[in-house]
Amino acid sequence: MTKKIHPAVVSAQPFQVANLRPIDRLFEDEEGKDRLEKAVSRYPDKRAALLPMLAYAQERNGWVSPDSMEQVAEALELTPAFVRSVATFYTMYNKHPTGRHMIQVCTCVACHLCGGDDVFQAFLQATGTRAGETSDDGRYMVMEAECLGACGFATAVQINDQYFENVTPETVGDVLASLEEEGE
Amino acid sequence: MSDQTVTLTIDGVEVTVPTGTPVIQAAERAGSVVPHYCYHPGIPSRPAQCRMCLVEIEGQPKLQPSCVMVAQDGMIVHTQSEQALDARRSVIEFLLLNHPLDCPICDAAGQCMLQDYAYETGQLSSRYAEPKLVLGRDRIADDILYFADRCIICTRCVRFMEDIAGDNSLVVAQRGHKAYIDTFPGKELDHAFRGNIVDVCPVGALVHEDFVFKARAWDMDTAPGICSGCSQGCNIDVNVKENQVVRVKPRFNADVNGYWMCDEGRRHLVMVNRGLRLDVPMIRRGDDLEAVTWSEAMEWIATAAPWGGGGTAIVDPRLSNETLFALRGLLDAMGIAGGGYRMPRGEEVSLAGLPMLKLREERAPNGAGAELFGFSEIEELPDIESGQALVVAGDRLLDAAPHYGTQAGFYVYLGTHLTDAARCASAILPLAGAGESDGSFVNFDGLVQRFHQAMQPPGVSRPGWMAINRLLRQVDADRPPVRDVVAAFDAMAAGTPDLKGMTWRGLGLKGAPVRAARTATGA
Amino acid sequence: MGYPHSHELEVGTILSRHFGDESARRLETWQEYGGYEALRAAVKMDATEITGIVKDSGLRGRGGAGFPTGLKWSFMPQEPNGPHYLCCNADESEPGAFKDREILRWVPHLLIEGCLIAARAIRAEHVYIYVRGEYFPYTRILNDAVVEAYEAGYIGADILGSGWDCELTVHIGAGAYIAGEETGLMSSLVGGRAEPRVKPPFPAQSGVFGRPTTVNNVETLAAVPMILTEGAEWYRQWGTERSPGTKLWCCSGHLERPGTYELPLGVPLRDIIYDVCGGIPGGRKLKAVIPGGSSTALLTADELDCASTYEGMQEAGSSLGTASPIVMDEDTNIVRAIRRTAEFYAHESCGQCIQCREGTAWVAKILHRIETGGGRLADIDTLYDLCEQLTGRTICVLADSVVFPLRSSLDKFRADYEALIGGRP
Repeated sequence: MTKKIHPAVVSAQPFQVANLRPIDRLFEDEEGKDRLEKAVSRYPDKRAALLPMLAYAQERNGWVSPDSMEQVAEALELTPAFVRSVATFYTMYNKHPTGRHMIQVCTCVACHLCGGDDVFQAFLQATGTRAGETSDDGRYMVMEAECLGACGFATAVQINDQYFENVTPETVGDVLASLEEEGE
Repeated sequence: MSDQTVTLTIDGVEVTVPTGTPVIQAAERAGSVVPHYCYHPGIPSRPAQCRMCLVEIEGQPKLQPSCVMVAQDGMIVHTQSEQALDARRSVIEFLLLNHPLDCPICDAAGQCMLQDYAYETGQLSSRYAEPKLVLGRDRIADDILYFADRCIICTRCVRFMEDIAGDNSLVVAQRGHKAYIDTFPGKELDHAFRGNIVDVCPVGALVHEDFVFKARAWDMDTAPGICSGCSQGCNIDVNVKENQVVRVKPRFNADVNGYWMCDEGRRHLVMVNRGLRLDVPMIRRGDDLEAVTWSEAMEWIATAAPWGGGGTAIVDPRLSNETLFALRGLLDAMGIAGGGYRMPRGEEVSLAGLPMLKLREERAPNGAGAELFGFSEIEELPDIESGQALVVAGDRLLDAAPHYGTQAGFYVYLGTHLTDAARCASAILPLAGAGESDGSFVNFDGLVQRFHQAMQPPGVSRPGWMAINRLLRQVDADRPPVRDVVAAFDAMAAGTPDLKGMTWRGLGLKGAPVRAARTATGA
Repeated sequence: MGYPHSHELEVGTILSRHFGDESARRLETWQEYGGYEALRAAVKMDATEITGIVKDSGLRGRGGAGFPTGLKWSFMPQEPNGPHYLCCNADESEPGAFKDREILRWVPHLLIEGCLIAARAIRAEHVYIYVRGEYFPYTRILNDAVVEAYEAGYIGADILGSGWDCELTVHIGAGAYIAGEETGLMSSLVGGRAEPRVKPPFPAQSGVFGRPTTVNNVETLAAVPMILTEGAEWYRQWGTERSPGTKLWCCSGHLERPGTYELPLGVPLRDIIYDVCGGIPGGRKLKAVIPGGSSTALLTADELDCASTYEGMQEAGSSLGTASPIVMDEDTNIVRAIRRTAEFYAHESCGQCIQCREGTAWVAKILHRIETGGGRLADIDTLYDLCEQLTGRTICVLADSVVFPLRSSLDKFRADYEALIGGRP
């Protein structure tokens, strides 16, 4: 499933996806080479392709492993330690494999005022997980998120690359059901 | 006022500095030392992130970090204003919030910039009532431990590695109050100059594993020395406790090593004197070596040596100039011309960010000094002709055949360790080893530099120049005595054209170039 | 809730005219709506002329700081000796703010056009639109629009036959509020931790890749095309002398009709909350509102008669910020809300400056302890003191930002704190 990506948007590809396409060597197949080359071409310094390449690693494999970090480092002529420093700064790069559906419930102040904590608890119950832990069947991981930028439509929930808004404890079930429908 | 300088007032003192000077350096010139952490004069990057060096500048609404604020003409700076002092005290309070009460077990105690500034700012109690964050300890290199809880994230270590060593292997991981310093998992730091991160660490977060718990800052005596690990001639401070070297740190010298030294150098002084030491003169009587007094040894040699009869000499590039000069005098008296030294060599290691400093291929401090006094490098030990005189000074003959020198008619060994080959000598004189006497070396660049005694040599061993001058006076009582290194150096300089005009006192701790080097091109 | 809403006070002219119209995302429709006319005009103008018009309009940065946009553009070198860059700040992460996402998802071409005109004004040849990582659905929409614009010749080499080349790259973040800070954004874009840097050097001297750079907010850039076609005077028909034009108000919290509304600057805050947003559900009373996104001082029910301008909000003891009011009703546990706010800042601190790194976490911990019954009166003094220690001492203003909601809550709701503390000294 590789589509041709315009170079202008190669650094803006979604990297929290339900359907992974795991790969060992990130930049040795046509798609990886293409992504790397296009990304690097957008900046005068190849280091700037770092976030896009970390995103690509996660897009394929669902998380950014130490091995991915080393590969990205090599591809961009950086040290693995530096890549790790950058990867651990940002919250969206998963340092461990996660559930297929990354459920991030906003509990920041605006959603918090509108019952975000209750929605978070409802998701934990409905998925049978504890915060930050993958469910036994590997389907879900539920976490709190800081402001998702949908404050007027509380409670906002991000699941992989989708936004769900106006979620209440009562509608949690529907949200989860809609994930199933999208084909597993 | 000119294009090249600016004049400003700091704490009421007017000072003129070159254009582009940061306020913190201008303040130092004016006599005000501004407390700081992340700023380091030897590390080019200045993130201004520790916020410790904030000062008040008239006309500026906010306090400014003096490490990056460039001094301007007419600026009026207050480093001790109420605002500045409050900001400083506040930084200490925040730093101590999650800082463990490790002082009783922390090696940095007594030489810790957190302790020092806590006392200076008066921030001595805490109102923090929350549980402290505990991050733990990590091995960041084979020989360096990292105590994450003590770390103040000044990033000096990260930036030393990046800017000076050119190795981006040490980084800040995570963000916010969970941040800590780390390498890539599974890859410890192994750069040849990594030890400097311990020196730059203002607190006890980074410690050398072989120094941990060894000595308190106030238990150590310090002597300024010159590293004898290679020909770079890094200036060092030798820390000694109970007559043992416990630590070696670099001493600043803008022209030689900046603020740094390599790890081999740090270990060198501790290791080089190990082993069973020669600590008493010995004379061969039959098959045995008998311990004798210096007087007896001097008398015996004066009588038994074939003066003027020629022979072979092997010296060592670890010997000081004074000792080598004295040896030349001894060899002249024995009619031995020339003489060779073996130079241990290793791989050169450069620093990407500081071309002048390298771990040099020549792994001895004074090859240039040996050359100055007429010795030349040899690859192999020379064959000894039967009945010939042999003088070996310094070279431990570790790789020599066990009976090397037995065929010599007269064989004097001067050194620190009694190796098998040295046992064949007729007379053995115990020398003070590295760090155990005063003297000077000439580095790769022709710079003559003084080093000072840090420890008592064992037993009755003596500096080479002292022993040899005593021997020469034994032979010729009219020779003037050489009672101390000042006399030894001055006599040497007077008798060596390329050192003309130098005196021990005049040399100071900065050193001076050998005259020939001054006109030579290249290093 | 039925979004988007409309209200008589709204100005559906500049930014929000096509909110809710999915077809506006497509270039074909957008051009029918008059899209890219401003760009056609701009490529025939020189940089100084464009900057002059925007300066005259009085447009101020909509990312929270309110710095005059034309003035900011004029800081860029007039004679480039190398590349200049424009960064569009779409890292919208301020709690309460969700206005830039509306622009991205309804009128991406308006933003693209604004970026290109701004790029011309600052003599740039590359625009980076830095979008927060989480905004995947909206980034997708923006991406499609960017590709369309490239294919139509609005971006790239020799734009509209003018001889001017300008590239545009969409670059997404990965979860860091501090990447919305101007220098933090630049540090992130070049491939690093989003750590703010000291200024000087200023971005216009040395920004991304060591080159002169201007960073502008999405909403700011989206206003530029119409300012160019209609003129500075036209833009000034709304707002006040010092706060001209319109603003997207994104309203959240306890409201009947939360959402995004384009209003002229100057509408009284009370009217925004009660008329435009329909007030608080169930007719409950307002306890407090944080008017400009979480980094602004909260106002109480009797402080709402201020004009929603930069100067008006300042006079009221708060600030306009991103115009993102978070409304709290009478049943709100203020201490809890502020605690959650402080936790946000503690989580987002980049960690360079000790005051922010330790201070924000400390504030959150004290508030948590007070909230859960372990507080002491001395904690209030400590919190006030921390407000002093966190102000004006750090590389960026994240530390200063937590002080606004914290101190105003202590000033105006001290009784709430004391009730939880229960008299323990």
